[in-house]
Order: sequence, then C-alpha cells, then structure tokens
Amino acid sequence: MHFSEDDLREALKRKDPGEGFTQRTMARVNQARVNQAQAEGTAPPATKKVNGKFLAWWTLRPAWTVVVAAVLLLACGIGGYQYSEYRHAEEMRIARAKQQQLQQEAEHARDQAIMALEIARAKLNHVLQHAQLQAEPSDKVRRQRL
Amino acid sequence: MEQTAAFEDDRLKLALNLAVKGDGQAFEDLVREHQGMVFSIAYHFLQDRSLAEDLAQEVFLELFQTLDRIQSPAHLTYWLRRVTANRCIDQGRKKHRRREMALEEAPEPVASSPSADPMLLERLQQGLATLPEKQRLVVIMRFQEGLGPAEIAEVLEMPVNTVKSTLHRSLAELRKGLARKIREVRYAFF
Repeated sequence: MHFSEDDLREALKRKDPGEGFTQRTMARVNQARVNQAQAEGTAPPATKKVNGKFLAWWTLRPAWTVVVAAVLLLACGIGGYQYSEYRHAEEMRIARAKQQQLQQEAEHARDQAIMALEIARAKLNHVLQHAQLQAEPSDKVRRQRL
Repeated sequence: MEQTAAFEDDRLKLALNLAVKGDGQAFEDLVREHQGMVFSIAYHFLQDRSLAEDLAQEVFLELFQTLDRIQSPAHLTYWLRRVTANRCIDQGRKKHRRREMALEEAPEPVASSPSADPMLLERLQQGLATLPEKQRLVVIMRFQEGLGPAEIAEVLEMPVNTVKSTLHRSLAELRKGLARKIREVRYAFF
C-alpha cells in the first residue's frame, strides 16, 4: 500500500476543535484577566526587594552567573596547580637536604675510619720496632756460646 | 479572490489592533480564526483530543498575555505555530509519549473525507504517532499547514537542510511502517 502527498495532506487535514472550544478558551482568558486584575490590585508596588548585598547576587543575570562561575573555576584551577607546584618544590628541597646530610655523615665516618687506621698503623710500627730491638742482643749471646 | 484575501487581512489587522487595546470580542474573533490551526497541530502531534484542547487553550492564554508584542496577522500566525510546536514538544516530553506508543495503541482517527481511503488515512495517522517529535512536527507543518522548508525551518528553529532531510526521512519511515503493518496483517490472515 503506497501513499501520495495528497493522502498525507488528507490525513493531516485541519480538525475542528468542536463546539464550545472558543467559549471555553475565552472563559479561561477571562479568568486569567480577572486573576491578573486582582493580583495587580492587591500586590505591593512593583519594586524588587533586595535582601542585602549578599542576596543581590541572585538577581544577577544568568550570563553573569555563568561568567562568575567560570572565573571561580579558573581561579580554583590555577590555585590548585600552584599549590601542587609548591608542594612538589618543597618535597624536592627536603629530599636534597636529606641527601646532603647523609653525604656529610658518610664523609665524617670515612675520615674517622682513616684516622683509626692511621693510629693502628702507628701502634703496630712501634710494637714491631720494640720487638726487633729486644731480639737483636739474644742473637749475639747465642752465637758467642756456639 | 485577491480582494477577499485583502479584506480578510484587513479584518484580522483590525481585530488584532482592537484586541491589543483590550477588546474581548476582537480577541475572541482571533481565537475563532486560528483555533483550527492550533488545535490541529496539537491534535496531530499528541493524538489525544482532550490534551490537544488543553494545549490549544494554553497557547491562546499565552497569546492573550503577550498580545502587545504581536505586530501583524502574519506575525500572529507565525507566533501561534511556533508556540504550539514548542508546547507540543514540552507536552510530549512530559508524557513520554514518543516511541512508547505502539501503532495499535494510537487513538482512533477522526472521520475522513469520503474520497480518500479511510484505512490508508488511519494507518498514516497511526504511523505519524510513532515518529520522533521533531519529525512529527516537520510533517505536520508541511502537510497540515502547507509550509515550505524555509518556513518550517523558521518556525521550528532548524536549518533548512535539516528540515529537508528530516522530511525525507519521515516519509521514508512512514512508508516503511506502512509496509510493515501490511505484512503483519497478511501474516495474520494467512
């Protein structure tokens, strides 16, 4: 089954809303008119109430709200980035100081070890000389006996 | 013929001017003049008589509240089409009717002219109810209101090329849906 554009026009022909539509619509319009008149009669003068400077924020236009939100987001982003940079630099500084301290301690330990070895060497030399001096006369006596 | 159209235009212009000044009878004339258009757009879109009537009344209520912004009878027609289309989309979203209505659930169509095939018209109206909102509105504006793609684009705030492609796609979908429906009927019989 095929259809032509005329069939579609026929299917979508304007429909009559039926008896009484105009009256019902006008009744709603008149009711709205009465409500509007009552509201205008009883309402206070059309002045905008602004509850202090802080609440005046809410009266900003949506576009400004978007701009302010964007600026706040940007500021938060930059602040967060700078804080993370600061944290990184601080950690690096602490690590460097620690490394330097360790290096100094290692050098000090090395110097102490060298000094201890020097003392040991001096003492050993002294003992060796003393032993040689004691050994020399006893050798002479033994040779004489023979 | 042209004289009649000019007379009609003058009559509407006068009614509009009087209605803007607060003449209730003139506003009623405007409602009577455009109620068929507004109601039919809503009815063809929503496929529900009471919802369509309610929506049409709301459109006229909004017109009454913003009447001072209407500059001419042509502007009034354009405004009514646009506001009705927007309200139809809002209503459709509220009710989640789009795509949820099966062909079988579509309401019974109103009586058609004796020259057309009533079964075909019924199927077309049911098929229209299954189209997405924008496509449905484009088809209604094209075939109910007889608007060209440029006018539809202006009313529905869409690019002209989108209107053309939407119209093409809608007709294809309607044809496909109709063929599928006929196949189902054949299977049911044999």
